[in-house]
Amino acid sequence: MLPLSLLNAAQNKPMLVELKNGETFNGHLVNCDNFMNITLREVYQTNAEGDRFWKLKECYIRGSTIKYLRVPDPLLDAVKEEQKMARELGRSARGSHVSGSGNRGGRGAPQRGGRGGMVRGGPTRGGRGRGRGA
Amino acid sequence: MSGLQGYVDQRVLLILQDGRAIVGVMAGYDQKSNVVLSDSKERVYSPDEGVEEIPLGLYLVKGDQIVLIGELDEALDQSVDLATIRAEPLPPIRY
Amino acid sequence: MADRGRGTFRGMRGGPASASRGRGPQPTMDKPKREAILDLSKYVQERIRVKFTGGREVTGVLKGFDQLLNLVLDEVEENIQTESGEHTRKLGLVVLRGPTITLLSPVDGWEEIANPFLAQDGA
Repeated sequence: MLPLSLLNAAQNKPMLVELKNGETFNGHLVNCDNFMNITLREVYQTNAEGDRFWKLKECYIRGSTIKYLRVPDPLLDAVKEEQKMARELGRSARGSHVSGSGNRGGRGAPQRGGRGGMVRGGPTRGGRGRGRGA
Repeated sequence: MSGLQGYVDQRVLLILQDGRAIVGVMAGYDQKSNVVLSDSKERVYSPDEGVEEIPLGLYLVKGDQIVLIGELDEALDQSVDLATIRAEPLPPIRY
Repeated sequence: MADRGRGTFRGMRGGPASASRGRGPQPTMDKPKREAILDLSKYVQERIRVKFTGGREVTGVLKGFDQLLNLVLDEVEENIQTESGEHTRKLGLVVLRGPTITLLSPVDGWEEIANPFLAQDGA
């Protein structure tokens, strides 16, 4: 389970974000990218000391300033389930079975599935880019 | 780099740069050592009270904040009564 | 709301919006987001609050921006917090370097409030 898969699945879900400076933001995730830059809506901001609070309609947070994100528990199973389905779909679409070490991240597979195989090292970069067409 | 694979689905202890200690089950990670922890709890140490465990649920920790990841010996860990432990909390990293 | 400023400033040099559209149905999940996740054009001519690495904080009226999040703000005021309290100083027309920006939000709809977590999250 990749952290970014989880974050992507957290769209429109409530979350708590703590920045490296200790400030926290509670809000609903609107959008995110691979740098973990995020946009939130209906945000409650708390200062690092935890004694002042602000309400923000929306905000953008640079990913590199984030310490951690806390997301709703049910998301874990939701993402796992989705990955499983994507994997099976990819497998049947390819008409072959995954052979463990030879599997290079399944092109044509719905991309999620391919990586879910989690081989290690591998040509992750190229593989990922190419798997996208389908 | 992918030295974290062995920790997946294991209960691990994470130490962050701000001194926090978090235990949880490693659900995943990526190339930057960003880590997903499920069923995570923060352990708050104090010199004059037992260790307090604060449930945090599902957590995504940025890799650049992580100082240490270690596998927890669950049997050993459960044999420890946290309420009896007195310890100074780790201070945050200073630059 | 507030989509004034469209047409006038809109995305300064072929911003992300036009660049990568023709991709067909974008699955909502797990897509490397190559395009900006923040549409700054909706804030043009609007007052926004910006925080920087290091802790400085300003507000100003957004006049322009680019893909790297470099901003042009006018009527900029820096908000300074000291032990003795808060005050502002006027900076006027300013270019903000995108890479140093950590937080960006519209001033509209921004307010300091009492602890909103006391009610619920008490336990």
